Amino acid sequence: MAFIGFTLFCLVSLTMKTSTPIVSIEGLGNLFVMPFQKGYDGLQGGVHRFWAGFTELGELRDELQRTRQKLMKYEAIAEELGEIKKENERLRAVIQMKERIEYESIPAIVISRDPDNWFRTIILNRGSSDGVKVNMPVVAYHGEEKAIIGKIIEVRGSVSRVLPIVAPDMKLGVMLQGSRFPGLLKGLSSGSNLCIMDYVSKSVLVKFGDVVVTSGQGGIFPAGLLIGKVLKAEIMEASAYQRAIVTPIIDYNRIEDVFIIKKEPDNEFMELLKSAEE
Amino acid sequence: MIVGYVFTGAIIIASLIIQGHDSFDVLKVAGAKPDLLFIAVVFFGYNFGSFYGEVTGFIAGLLHDAVSNAPLGLLTFPKMVIGFAVGMFGRSVLRENLATVFLLMLAASIVKGIIMIFLCYIFDSASVSSRAGIIIPESLYNAILAPFLFPLYNKIFEREIEREGN
Repeated sequence: MAFIGFTLFCLVSLTMKTSTPIVSIEGLGNLFVMPFQKGYDGLQGGVHRFWAGFTELGELRDELQRTRQKLMKYEAIAEELGEIKKENERLRAVIQMKERIEYESIPAIVISRDPDNWFRTIILNRGSSDGVKVNMPVVAYHGEEKAIIGKIIEVRGSVSRVLPIVAPDMKLGVMLQGSRFPGLLKGLSSGSNLCIMDYVSKSVLVKFGDVVVTSGQGGIFPAGLLIGKVLKAEIMEASAYQRAIVTPIIDYNRIEDVFIIKKEPDNEFMELLKSAEE
Repeated sequence: MIVGYVFTGAIIIASLIIQGHDSFDVLKVAGAKPDLLFIAVVFFGYNFGSFYGEVTGFIAGLLHDAVSNAPLGLLTFPKMVIGFAVGMFGRSVLRENLATVFLLMLAASIVKGIIMIFLCYIFDSASVSSRAGIIIPESLYNAILAPFLFPLYNKIFEREIEREGN
């Protein structure tokens, strides 16, 4: 009897998720799971801090030393950049080019990951109380390179969930930095840390090491942000396009400190999304 | 049995926390990490019968769904079904030894994977082919880990298992 009841619950819940219910069972489910999810995220944050207390003390000294050296280097670069910025502004004014928008960002740390192999998400320690909103892009630094990690898909009070670019559910518009040819990027598979860039024109020669950046199409990610480098290109006889396997600049397993870019999706894109949902 | 329930809850919560901690991803082999929660559910079904197996599978699955990005029910259903099915055989049919635990866990994990793929195909929009590759590495990982975890759980539930008459 219990077995039938549990089975019905699961099937009804899953069916409601994929249809448009009058009474949202997902809402009822959330009512039940939300306190647990909050508690779980809080607990994970505590475990993370406790664990970090053991593991990070030794690393901190080295990190401080490296940071001091970097600071000195950046101070020198900042002076140089000031000059370049003025020159850039002058030149942009000459060619009447639109000014590049700079976005603010919120620093965050990874407190947990999806606990199963089938879905790949990351939980960050920043939420709606910090101004985080759904569809904001998330980036991280690898050395001095800033690269895309993913986008926010769920926001709670003090935590948020990120869908990384290596997840098969993720799709974003990208292009090859050199040739400017566009494509669509998504995760290769649930267990892989690679991405696949699909729908690339066969007329372009895609080779190992080609840099892939965001195209800005889709309205969520700003254009020109680093994604990764091409590992290999695959030309399929049956398809009108070729595809490329891309290694993300940031290793998914080593993501710790990230920045949430305070950029909301373009209105045009959101309207398109809404009309598609309807 | 109240102590048993408390231990069951503690093992489920602990498994969930360990599995979700970002350091646990270091243990990934071929893109898969072991499903500790599932190993625990199989253990409960094996030792305490189909009802206990399905109830713990259902609760563990619900909590798993709650902290995962999965639609509610997608991780619950396979755990509940496997908890029930393993409980149908249990200790009374399969004597516990290294080989039995390995094979039981391997078979249970593969069936769980097939159910997951089936549910993903019907209810989830992401491509099934991108997820199918997870089944074998995860099943093998679970099967290799189970012979180490079962004796540990046996020790924790020693009294309850004796009371069950196994």
